[in-house]
Amino acid sequence: MTRRRILFLMGVAGPAGCSRRNRLRLNVLNWPTYIDGGALARFEAETGIGVRQATYESNEEMLARVMTGNSGWDVVFPSNYFIPPMREMGLLARLDRSRLRNLSYLDERFQAPGWDGGLEWCAPFVWGGAGILFDGRVRPAPTGWRDLWDGRYRGRMTMLDDSGEVLGAALKILGHSLNSTSESELRGAYELALRQKPLLRAYLNAEVRDQVVAGDVLAAQSWATTAQQAMDAAPHLGFAYPREGFSLYADCAAVLRESRRGELAHRFIDYILRPEIAAGLVEKARTATANAGARALLGAKAAGLPALYPDAETLERGEWFAPMPAGAQRLRDRLWTELKSA
Amino acid sequence: MRGLRELCLAPAAAVLAALFAAPMGILAAYSLMTRGAYGGVATPFTLEGWRRMADALYVAVLIKSFVVAGISTALCVLLGFPLALFIARAGARKNLYLALVMLPFWTSFLIRTYAWMFLLRDTGLVNTVLLGLGLIHEPLPLLYNWGAVILGLVYGYLPFVVLPLYASLERQDPALEETAADLGARPVETLFRVTIPLCAPGLRAGAMLVFIPCLGAYLTPDLLGGGKTILMGTLIQNQFSSARDWPFGSALSLGLMALVTALLWMQARRKGETLP
Repeated sequence: MTRRRILFLMGVAGPAGCSRRNRLRLNVLNWPTYIDGGALARFEAETGIGVRQATYESNEEMLARVMTGNSGWDVVFPSNYFIPPMREMGLLARLDRSRLRNLSYLDERFQAPGWDGGLEWCAPFVWGGAGILFDGRVRPAPTGWRDLWDGRYRGRMTMLDDSGEVLGAALKILGHSLNSTSESELRGAYELALRQKPLLRAYLNAEVRDQVVAGDVLAAQSWATTAQQAMDAAPHLGFAYPREGFSLYADCAAVLRESRRGELAHRFIDYILRPEIAAGLVEKARTATANAGARALLGAKAAGLPALYPDAETLERGEWFAPMPAGAQRLRDRLWTELKSA
Repeated sequence: MRGLRELCLAPAAAVLAALFAAPMGILAAYSLMTRGAYGGVATPFTLEGWRRMADALYVAVLIKSFVVAGISTALCVLLGFPLALFIARAGARKNLYLALVMLPFWTSFLIRTYAWMFLLRDTGLVNTVLLGLGLIHEPLPLLYNWGAVILGLVYGYLPFVVLPLYASLERQDPALEETAADLGARPVETLFRVTIPLCAPGLRAGAMLVFIPCLGAYLTPDLLGGGKTILMGTLIQNQFSSARDWPFGSALSLGLMALVTALLWMQARRKGETLP
């Protein structure tokens, strides 16, 4: 409690006190690019609710900002594997489904997801996976993670700068779950990643996009949304969901328990669940919607984007990221540090 | 009179207490606690965070950071001294040159680092020009290695060594060098036996201003090193993000700070300066 008080005294208690006059105001903490100003302006015009949006770059960053329980934020977008821990920490408010009519538009796969079977705590918004973005002019095209351990892309290849994804790909090659907590499996994955490191140009996240487009990098472990942006810019690029399996995540809208604007928050979430709104948002952000209604509106446009919307058979190989227990997380970080300093 | 002095110092003292002492206190407390499963801290109190620092893996990261910061500092001093000397002797154009040295600060450091990435990559300006001139046939691997990291650090922190060096060179009485020449010293001798020893305080200040931020830098090593290596800055940052180990991160930052302070103190004592 002392920390809470110190933060309060230091005036960083959050944006709660910022609302001017009596205007209705909602504070949304979101990933960058998911919801653009146009959609917010339309929401305000319709409802009179002004939305103040700030962005974060990682789930951990978001959690650190709302963990105190008096951050002033109302709506956040945790990834699926952060929903159970945030619920256990008492940070999330139970959703009132009667106020979220548009939940019915969600894709069947997101009606009862593993991380929140009854959709009591979150509304899946967008989702994606990681695979291989590659330059189609180099033959043969990669089909599995194993191909990124091959000399053909030596020095012109990158992996994500993300321990879960790099160890995940190695775990998949070895036939394990990417959420493995077993020390021997994780050590095996580390050994494999260590063997790959000399072949790599770098560990890069979204910034790899321009370099693949420019032809500096020929193959990259990449999130589907980054890959789609690259492929929009350069038609000679391709994207493969590896045959050994791959990771999946879904970012979900949730209301913080501390929020005193629950009603406004529900109206906002219901608004972004509206098919035409959801469709417009993912079309701009080049990511995949969890909303079947929106996908139907996108129609042929979505069907032409197999990186964002892989078919059912491909999706079978995907594995959702799961919450990581503290002990396994510590071991993974140690292995990651070892890999980086090697 | 005395009351007035304290009154004038009070705002600065308050700012220091609120924005330096208090966060340090929080950091110290965190470093002695148990990690929360998803970041944050929990009880009971423990020395675990401090104990883990002795691990050979983390000691190696520390040594690597010292080496990188040391090389960058040496290069900054080597490049910064002639520049500072030039500006100090530039007469009427001094202010123009000083303004030019400070000009990069008008743009965010992040953007300037990104600009280096555009210069150095395979299809970047440097490789394109060299390829176009027929001087090379394959793009040079300029980005994502130690050279790029050190280049970025030297580029970023060069002004910090130029400014204090300039200040101490500019204050030097030109008569001293004339005297040396009158007494038969050649220009090189004058430089090494008069000018450089006299600007030693500026040199030390400048070197410290470069070495310390280089030691904790995480932006440059990450962006220009391509994440293929890990230095203290990144290690600490990881503890507060993906590793979710705030106590260890707090212990690492305090440990690094203590180490640097101890080194500075030892060095200052050797020089016979008085420290508060």
